[in-house]
Amino acid sequence: MLAFIVRRTLWMLMVMFAISLLVFLIFFHTPGIDPARQMAGRNPTPQTIAAIKQEFGLNKPLPEQYVLMMNHLFISRDLVSYTNRGLKVLPQIEAAAPVTFSLVLGAAVLWIFGSIIIGVSAAVLRGTIWDPLLMVVALIGISAPVFWVGEVANMLTQSKFHSSPLFSWVPPLGYTSFSSDPAMWAKHLIIPWITLAILYIGFYGRVLRSSLIESQSEDYIRTARAKGLSERRVLFRHSLRTSMITFISLFGLDFGALVGGGALLTEVVFGLPGVGYLTYNSLSNLDLPVIMGTVVYGAFFIVLANALVDVGYAFLDPRIRPT
Amino acid sequence: MFDSKRRLFALALVGSAVALASGCGSSGSSGSSSGGGGNSSGGSGSHMGGTMKLQATGNPDSLDPAIAYEVESWQNLIMTNDGLTGFKRVGGPDGATLVPDLATAVPQATDGGKTYVFHIQPNVKFSNGEPVVPSDFKHAWERDFLVGSPGTWTLGSIVGASKCTAKACNLSSGVVADDSAMTLTVHLTAPDPEFLDKVALPFSDAVPKSAPNKDIGTNPLPATGPYMFKSYVPGQSITLVRNPQFHQWSKDAQPQGYPNEIVWQLGLQADAEVTNVENGNADWMFEQPPPGRLNEIATQYKSQVHINPLTATYWFFMNVNTPPFNNLKVRQALNYAIDRNATVKLYGGPALAQPTCQVLPPNFPGYEQYCPYTANPAAGGKGAWTAPDMAKAKSLIAASGTKGQNVTVWSETTTLSKSEGEYVVSLLNQLGYHASLKSLDRGVYFDTVDNSSNKAQIGWWDWYQDYPAASDFINTLLSCGAYIPNDDHSNNAAEFCNKSVDSTIKTALSQGATSTAAANQSWAKADQMITDQAPWLPMFNPKNIDFVSKRVGNYQFSPQWLFLLDQAWVQ
Amino acid sequence: MAEVATAPEAGQLATADSPQIAGKSPWGLAWRRLRRDRAAIAALIVFVLIVVTSFAAPLYANHIAHTDPFQSNVDGTITQNGKKVSVLQTNALGIGVTPIGPTWHSQYFLGADSQGRDVMARLLYGGRASLLIGIGSALIACLLAAIVGLVAGFFGGLIDSILSRLMDVIWAFPVYLLAICISTVLLVKGLQVGPVGVNPNSLWLPTIIIGVVYVPYVARPIRGQVLSVREKEYVEAAIAQGASNLRLIFSDVLPNVVTVVIVLLPLMIANTILTEAALSFLSIGVRPPNASWGTIIGDGQELLYVRPWVSIAPGIMILLTVLSLNVLGDGVRDALDPRAKLRVEGDGS
Repeated sequence: MLAFIVRRTLWMLMVMFAISLLVFLIFFHTPGIDPARQMAGRNPTPQTIAAIKQEFGLNKPLPEQYVLMMNHLFISRDLVSYTNRGLKVLPQIEAAAPVTFSLVLGAAVLWIFGSIIIGVSAAVLRGTIWDPLLMVVALIGISAPVFWVGEVANMLTQSKFHSSPLFSWVPPLGYTSFSSDPAMWAKHLIIPWITLAILYIGFYGRVLRSSLIESQSEDYIRTARAKGLSERRVLFRHSLRTSMITFISLFGLDFGALVGGGALLTEVVFGLPGVGYLTYNSLSNLDLPVIMGTVVYGAFFIVLANALVDVGYAFLDPRIRPT
Repeated sequence: MFDSKRRLFALALVGSAVALASGCGSSGSSGSSSGGGGNSSGGSGSHMGGTMKLQATGNPDSLDPAIAYEVESWQNLIMTNDGLTGFKRVGGPDGATLVPDLATAVPQATDGGKTYVFHIQPNVKFSNGEPVVPSDFKHAWERDFLVGSPGTWTLGSIVGASKCTAKACNLSSGVVADDSAMTLTVHLTAPDPEFLDKVALPFSDAVPKSAPNKDIGTNPLPATGPYMFKSYVPGQSITLVRNPQFHQWSKDAQPQGYPNEIVWQLGLQADAEVTNVENGNADWMFEQPPPGRLNEIATQYKSQVHINPLTATYWFFMNVNTPPFNNLKVRQALNYAIDRNATVKLYGGPALAQPTCQVLPPNFPGYEQYCPYTANPAAGGKGAWTAPDMAKAKSLIAASGTKGQNVTVWSETTTLSKSEGEYVVSLLNQLGYHASLKSLDRGVYFDTVDNSSNKAQIGWWDWYQDYPAASDFINTLLSCGAYIPNDDHSNNAAEFCNKSVDSTIKTALSQGATSTAAANQSWAKADQMITDQAPWLPMFNPKNIDFVSKRVGNYQFSPQWLFLLDQAWVQ
Repeated sequence: MAEVATAPEAGQLATADSPQIAGKSPWGLAWRRLRRDRAAIAALIVFVLIVVTSFAAPLYANHIAHTDPFQSNVDGTITQNGKKVSVLQTNALGIGVTPIGPTWHSQYFLGADSQGRDVMARLLYGGRASLLIGIGSALIACLLAAIVGLVAGFFGGLIDSILSRLMDVIWAFPVYLLAICISTVLLVKGLQVGPVGVNPNSLWLPTIIIGVVYVPYVARPIRGQVLSVREKEYVEAAIAQGASNLRLIFSDVLPNVVTVVIVLLPLMIANTILTEAALSFLSIGVRPPNASWGTIIGDGQELLYVRPWVSIAPGIMILLTVLSLNVLGDGVRDALDPRAKLRVEGDGS
């Protein structure tokens, strides 16, 4: 097991290195953009530009620049934004992370409960009208673009029905931190939670249903039935447990991706200053250090989630040996 | 939009001393500012107090006075920092008057215009308790060079400045500070009639000697004004509180403010900001309200909307060196074809903008109305634009033989720029070209289209100039010297360089030192010559819309600093 | 004529005069199962309807609506109830301009957007772009993934290692993020690969970008399928008989890969349509004057509180299209692989 963990960690580092290299190469050859000019601001003198090139090592060959940037990012941790020289990248990400985390955690709680209810109900009620009905609802959740659902939600809660008691509590778009005002923090996030959860409730509901149904034909379930266990016991004690393996592994991957900045569309639509929003802004501005910072941050969570899921698999399902 | 970076307060990039059209204390744009009639300033009385809640989508470009160059930043910095001179902090045309700030009086230049002696206000302290002394200015100005400030051009005429680099800067020969006598003597290499205006900008504000030689980031500098920065969380908030060390020494230059606290909420989209102001959750939004909400706020919240003229022009430049716009007929055709009323409509409505065919905005020194590119033009072209002349446009294009060519129209990603860009694309397609739109974020847009190596054919541009000097439009944007090939910061995106226009410009510049009237005539002539050559497709002169919440009182709009934030009441 | 039936010899089963018990190929069986799945057929019909109406966009614009969906019509007017009405209406104060709302008639059926263009006509043209990009990029992804998955799964060893790691790295980027990164960079100059250049305005650019980004998504199940086929006994037998790699690939592995691709294709198209909508919404997908459902939603953002139909209508179209593809995809998977062994992982947000 230890060897497996070590190997996985090395693999994680390698992937992050590869991603950072990929981002660096994508952006450093962007035509028409000169980072030194961007940083120097308006009407700089040639001396100013020369000084910036010196300070940020923009004269050096590409590999050296890459190493310099990684140094600033990880070791000295003082990487500075290109579009705003007074702003350090890491504190920006640190400030944005709790916002994304709040959004994703809340949505995750909602979608776990929602999808279990839908998935289990659909499997139990197989054969009746409810099964396909629930599945259509789930499919609608998957098929609606998340940014459009968010826009429609905004229209309904901020404008059309804002004066009605149903939505009058909805505050204007934005974010309040939990520590400063927990009630307002929740109020800001309820509609975004629901919006983000809709997509995943649909997806996980279907996944759960299909693995429950599939497990019905497995041998160990037939054994359990032969032993005389009730259907309910079979479902909850045995089928659900095995089905949760897939569920949890997929959940881990999705959660990791979202926390790393994958919820960018939701954040942009609801005006939540999270990591996704930061990433999107930095991409619009071609602010390379911030892009690098946010992408590496995101990649870290994805790879971490991947690794944790694989380790978890090994624990949960004794049939699977870590390779 | 007026809040585009680096448009503001830029003086001539090329050439040395630019003669101010009418001395210091020049009156700026005329035209009333609605709601500014009260003009009370200097916080005192029952309206003191409260927390003012402001909103902006993006971060200020910097809170460091040496580096900040955007309205969003400057509207804060005028409340926290002071320089030798300032502009009168009132609304209306008076707001363009130069007044002394940390200097006790605006000095007359001696020694043939090359020396100024400033007496510094005694007993002014920074918010950290340190007293303000003359050497703080010398230190601040040297610091400008050391941090690579984009405003070093304001100090360019000081003796010794040309030798300053980001590594070392010693202005001792040009700036003599006597801290015991509280005087600051400045020597210039040549007379610079605009020097006093230049040092009114935040670049030249006093900073304590402890200020680091790099952008201060989120650790603000100590303040001299009525407010100081308490915190800055990029993307989230800026908080300003009263400066306990402040006492009002000049009501004109730096009056006491009314709110006890000023809080900016950052990161919201303009749509959300409008809703917040409507609900009273915020007092003002930095951005212009999106066009789609204007009807709503104009009809339902009429008393909270303030409209003021800006000395600004919005246009599309046409690259005179790339086809099809290297053909004069094509450029003129476009000027005939464009429906300026439509562009005004896309901006938000006829009350918010005025169509124009020329470079200079109305009520500007050197402005004489001139529009040859209209249906039924007035005699000599000296009239207003009325309607497009499609027939003439089409015949010009047919004569040019450029029909069917590919054209890429460039715009920023802001709603306004994109919508005007889409309209121009549609117009070009109607005229027989194959046009499409490319939109870039503001942070990289100008760097891209300004650089001649990208061969941008036609693109959005805007310029807001509150320095009432025609040179700042014509010389800065359309002279041969303004075109720097293969440079991101060439302000002359049209790559326009015309010998006779240039010599008219030179004439105007030299006349400016002696006769304002003669200079204005030359500027008007240059404006007409340029318009005839049509390097631009001017659309309109915009007005500024401020949408404030119900509780905001004493709204004042200064032609220099726009909405005077701390002079408004929130209770 | 013998009266005792004798066991037919091999090769003599189907002769001209003996009745043939026609066996169905796996494809035939699958098709029959699909035909019986009413939901899937309904979904297929809906999808085809959407495709047909979208491609009939020029017919609608020219003959029914008589509007040009790509031309700004800022100062235009239409006749409503005998009166002339401005398409973009200014209020009495001269502040604020509002496009007309849905007329529910042939002209400006769903109203106008902020440039005065007919939303309904743009919706249909937008459908064309979205569907072209969606289907095109899904095909590109499947094609590339099939090659990668085949090569990796079949040859194994170092090649497999390298390709799998490469796929993992690309997959570690959230899909939208990678697409946004690449789009941002290619926005300025377009793509130039050797002699082949892609005009930055053409729909090919987003198609290629989205296609490339989804390759790992499809390559993984394909590779898995190839690996499992390789272990099968009949392949071992074929190898023992001395069959060449190429022959194996074509006769045994490829049909299975094709099965996987067919099962995944509807789902892929659904995903690519959603991705294209997101990119266009963020203004880095389809560019003006072209329109797609995503760009129209983006256009409608500023009008959301005033003319919500501009944003709602394209969203409904996307929803219907993706929904029908998902249902169809379910049906195809059930038909081809009733035991539902193919598991697809993960999903972008």
